[in-house]
Amino acid sequence: MSKKIYLALAIAGAASLHAQALNHKIDFPKDSPVSLLSEDFGNSNATARGANLIEVNAALSLRNSGQKRIRSMTLMVSTPDAAGKGSVSVPTLDAGPGETFSIHIGTRLVRPLTAGNPSVEVTIDGVLFDDLSFYGPDLLHSQRSMIRWELEAQRDRKYFKALLAASGPEGLGKEMLSSLARQADSSQRGVQMVRGRATNLDAERESQFAFLEIPESPVEVSGGVARIGASLAGAPRFEVRNRSNRAVRHLEIAWIVKDQQGREFLAASMPADMTLVPNQSGQVAQDAALRFDRPISIQSMSGFVSSVEFADGSQWIPSRGALDQTRLHQLVAPSPEEQRLSQIYIKKGIQALIEELKKF
Amino acid sequence: MTRHVMETELALYAAGDLPFWRGTLVKFHVRRCDECRSLVEALRMDRQELRRSADDMPSDVDWDRLAAEMTANIRVGLAAGECVTPRERKVAAISWRPMAIAAGLVVLLAGAWWLNIPRSDTETIGRALHSIATGGRAGSPQEERGPVVGASPSGVELVENGGRMGIAQGGLEPVMFSVSTQGSASARYVDQDTGQVTITATYVQ
Repeated sequence: MSKKIYLALAIAGAASLHAQALNHKIDFPKDSPVSLLSEDFGNSNATARGANLIEVNAALSLRNSGQKRIRSMTLMVSTPDAAGKGSVSVPTLDAGPGETFSIHIGTRLVRPLTAGNPSVEVTIDGVLFDDLSFYGPDLLHSQRSMIRWELEAQRDRKYFKALLAASGPEGLGKEMLSSLARQADSSQRGVQMVRGRATNLDAERESQFAFLEIPESPVEVSGGVARIGASLAGAPRFEVRNRSNRAVRHLEIAWIVKDQQGREFLAASMPADMTLVPNQSGQVAQDAALRFDRPISIQSMSGFVSSVEFADGSQWIPSRGALDQTRLHQLVAPSPEEQRLSQIYIKKGIQALIEELKKF
Repeated sequence: MTRHVMETELALYAAGDLPFWRGTLVKFHVRRCDECRSLVEALRMDRQELRRSADDMPSDVDWDRLAAEMTANIRVGLAAGECVTPRERKVAAISWRPMAIAAGLVVLLAGAWWLNIPRSDTETIGRALHSIATGGRAGSPQEERGPVVGASPSGVELVENGGRMGIAQGGLEPVMFSVSTQGSASARYVDQDTGQVTITATYVQ
């Protein structure tokens, strides 16, 4: 009997030898508008199992050490020799000078055993202030997303304030319930995006996009096609035309898929970096394929221009009126700010929501 | 009352095989006892009859060969008897030692696999075996073509050059997730208590 106990102890010991502490580094520049108050990597570790499995579970307490109000922040998470980069963003901040906020990082990485001591590095990729000015290296191009989140927040806060003024707390409450219902009804599917050589995918046929027209959009999109097969679609390409009087350098098109049961869902976004002067047309082609994690028979596809970035860095996003006039409201996810406000309404009630809207 | 001689001694007396002193005593008793004398006479007559029967046997009988044939016939008879008698099935005795060794090896191999092979690789092998079993109809042929980003209720993940990066927010399930054709995947989480929104993403290098 004692031999069995020794054997169990030996196995447990061997297993525990594989788990090792994780080296971590939080590298904020000296001129950073955010300073680190405290860090807790307590549950983080690295385990050698054929490769290094790195589990990062960290909580960072941060302080706005600058002079402007911070609206959002993106941290980059990386490790030497690991695949790609990761990021953790908080888009709905309102941290004034000297105020504190926290960010939780939960990341799982796999990297080769030969890559040396397991370590993880956390750096600032960007900080966005309330005047839309930006700080950070922007290695992940997070500035564009952070500005869009802020524009959406300003749009939605303005909308809810106007609703409150016009319809009172009751009208605001109804709108919040409607928003929560849409959030609950939205259907999503697990999806993978494969980059490169998508033109070789086993597609059965070519299908045309039906683009939803948003009259106020500065870019018109037409003539879109993609190859579709069993539970996959790829190699999308489409024609675009800049119908505004400003030069465009980036645009993003939402890709909507309808299955055989008639259910529609937002499958992916198709960003494209391209320069279009006023009235110029161009073609966008992407070497990527979309694959769904569950079998789906694609009946049709549609799309719409979800954002445009002009040459001066400013952005266009659809107004709430444009979203309301089309069926996009049922498909497009609410903004991060709308989700935050609706959560406040659920947890704290209409009065807390009204107080929140009065803040800025 | 006269005490009779044992029958075995009378048989030996009749054949003349008793020792001299014992034979004299039996002879003295037989002369005076009619019952024993008649028994001795009967034994002598049987002996004479047996001798006559022996005289009828061929003179050149090979007794060794005869004994061998009799032995062979007995064995054939025994074998034939076993053929017609239902036999009990013999169950091989199972020893616990080989079983214990095999179980130990299985535990050792499973432990070595668990310690050394990442779960993602195990899943990949499982998918490949499933693909082989289904004749290649299932599985993910595109996975080997390039980097893959994925978004699902379990978070976002990037697979590239044999490495893997997944990001989730504790046990939270994202309220929405998406992928982009430029090679990124993102998932959005809402803290139920504070309402704070967190967006995680992975990017192809």
